[in-house]
Amino acid sequence: MAEITVRNLHKEFGVGADKIVALDDVNLDISGHVFVSIVGASGCGKSTLLNILSGIETPSHGQVQITEDGRPAAKGYVFQAARLLPWRTVMDNLLFVQKDRSEQTRARCQRYLDMVQLGDKGRKYPGELSGGMQQRVGIARAFSTEPDVLFMDEPFSHLDAITARSLRAELQNMWQETRKTVIFVTHDVGEAVELSNRILVFAKGGHLADDIDMPLPFPRDVADPEVAVAKANVFRTFEQIGALAVS
Amino acid sequence: MSATDTRRDTGPADTAAPDTVDELPRRRRSHPVVRVLRSSLAGRIAFPIVCLLVWLLAIRIVTSIWPFAVDVLPTPTQVFSFMWDELTGETLAPRNVYETFGISLRRLGIGMAIAMAIGTVIGLGMGLSKRVNAFFNDWVVAILAMPNLAWALFCSLAFGFGDVGPIVTVVLTGIPFVIINVREGVRNAPTDLYDMARAFGVSRADTIRHVLLPSLMPFMFAAARYAFALGWKGLVVAEVFGGEDGAGWTIKFWYDAHRAYGVIGYALLFVVFALLFEKFLFDRLSGYFFRWRPEVNAADVVEQRFDAPGVATATATADSGNGTHATTTGPKPERGAGGDETRRSHDG
Ligand SMILES: Nc1ncnc2c1ncn2[C@@H]1O[C@H](COP(=O)(O)OP(=O)(O)OP(=O)(O)O)[C@@H](O)[C@H]1O
Ligand SMILES: [Mg+2]
Repeated sequence: MAEITVRNLHKEFGVGADKIVALDDVNLDISGHVFVSIVGASGCGKSTLLNILSGIETPSHGQVQITEDGRPAAKGYVFQAARLLPWRTVMDNLLFVQKDRSEQTRARCQRYLDMVQLGDKGRKYPGELSGGMQQRVGIARAFSTEPDVLFMDEPFSHLDAITARSLRAELQNMWQETRKTVIFVTHDVGEAVELSNRILVFAKGGHLADDIDMPLPFPRDVADPEVAVAKANVFRTFEQIGALAVS
Repeated sequence: MSATDTRRDTGPADTAAPDTVDELPRRRRSHPVVRVLRSSLAGRIAFPIVCLLVWLLAIRIVTSIWPFAVDVLPTPTQVFSFMWDELTGETLAPRNVYETFGISLRRLGIGMAIAMAIGTVIGLGMGLSKRVNAFFNDWVVAILAMPNLAWALFCSLAFGFGDVGPIVTVVLTGIPFVIINVREGVRNAPTDLYDMARAFGVSRADTIRHVLLPSLMPFMFAAARYAFALGWKGLVVAEVFGGEDGAGWTIKFWYDAHRAYGVIGYALLFVVFALLFEKFLFDRLSGYFFRWRPEVNAADVVEQRFDAPGVATATATADSGNGTHATTTGPKPERGAGGDETRRSHDG
């Protein structure tokens, strides 16, 4: 079971007059099989938080710990931009992040490519794919490592509505089957309400402004009145915090 | 004509004034002769022809002013028959052209390998550390500014006759290009891809092999091209002073023999040789290493985008009866961030 502990996390960029506070005293405990969404306005530190959790960046102060049954957890990351190696084929891009290159691993990679409907594109180079296809390769890559903790930074925001919808369903299935921990950044409150059982709302300046539990059962139908009410509530909090941050 | 074509043709007619309807296609579809003249092949063929004409004209002008120059300015026939003799192995020089170029090429190869190896290490250091950069920077600029004649003279004094002088000259000529290119390559490193590798816990060795080295490849390649072109020239100069054989020495041999056609003919052979090398080695290698780039010929794309949409439509309509070609000749969609970055910096 994955355990994420964040204590007094503070992150700033630049020095002197250029100093930007990206995260301000964030405290978090996330444990086990949860789907946590992070929402907030542009520039409020969501990507920065994922970068610190995933080990790409180091905090200015504070501690972050991510373990799986006491050992360091395996992480997967779907970035805001696809971040593929342009000089390797799609399949090789998936293999690049695997622990081994065995037949089973290949088969698993192929399965996840099929899942994002790119099963026949394994031999293509990323430059030969559309932006949305590249993003889907990025999603397949993160899934294919079957990580303990999966970070996703607005993974569906560049996709068409239909593809995004089917991938959301896939993501939910995967999350329920594998019982992993997913940390999911999104601009789309509806998406957050549909997928997650916990929503973290960030305000400008990198405050963790609210931490909302979403106990409704899955799968959630957007048309369901209960879901609609939950969504309206999140929106309200979101707006209140937005107003607070501006004043 | 297909349905799409018809629609394309009638499209502007609906909106344009009646008398411009006839003009539009005529302006778009250039005359075949014009198209041939505009092609890059015509440009390539025209160049040697122009050179030849200038050469003949120069002989005529110089001999009319100064009749004794007949011996100094060789005619194209003299030069080409000399080149032909050399190529068929008939020569008055101690070695035939193949042996001579073999000797020079071996020196060039050794020199380039050393320049690439040392230059890459220094370039990596300079790209990664400000202090290392500060240490080497002025030296690199100084070496770059030094004429290779100076290296050649110095090396022949220092190392005497033989292989060492020419090889060291090649190394010194080529190394600044390698250093500067590798440094730029490191500075343009795709940090987002390193971060990606880190997030997935990819090992350091794999990251170096699959991220760092491929991202440096375009820069190394540009460096190798420069080092080849300039090292080749430096080598010849060095062989003139410090060689007992090789292409430079042989040019000197013809010079000493007062055979102007020999000097020019040998120099031309040398150019042909370098061009063949460039074409068959570097272009092949580049095609292989950069096969992941969707647009191999960037110049074509630039030309197309400047001429677009006029030319794009013209090619589409001239291309008999397949309207869909218009999409392939028109501007192409943008590509992923990583790819763009490296592509932009290719020949840098
Ligand atoms: N490497 C960096 N150097 C300097 N400033 C940075 C860096 N990364 C992020 N920032 C700053 O930190 C703040 C938070 O950025 P971050 O990318 O985390 O925002 P975000 O919430 O992900 O926004 P978006 O929704 O637009 O992606 C921004 O003000 C940004 O300018
Ligand atoms: Mg972001």
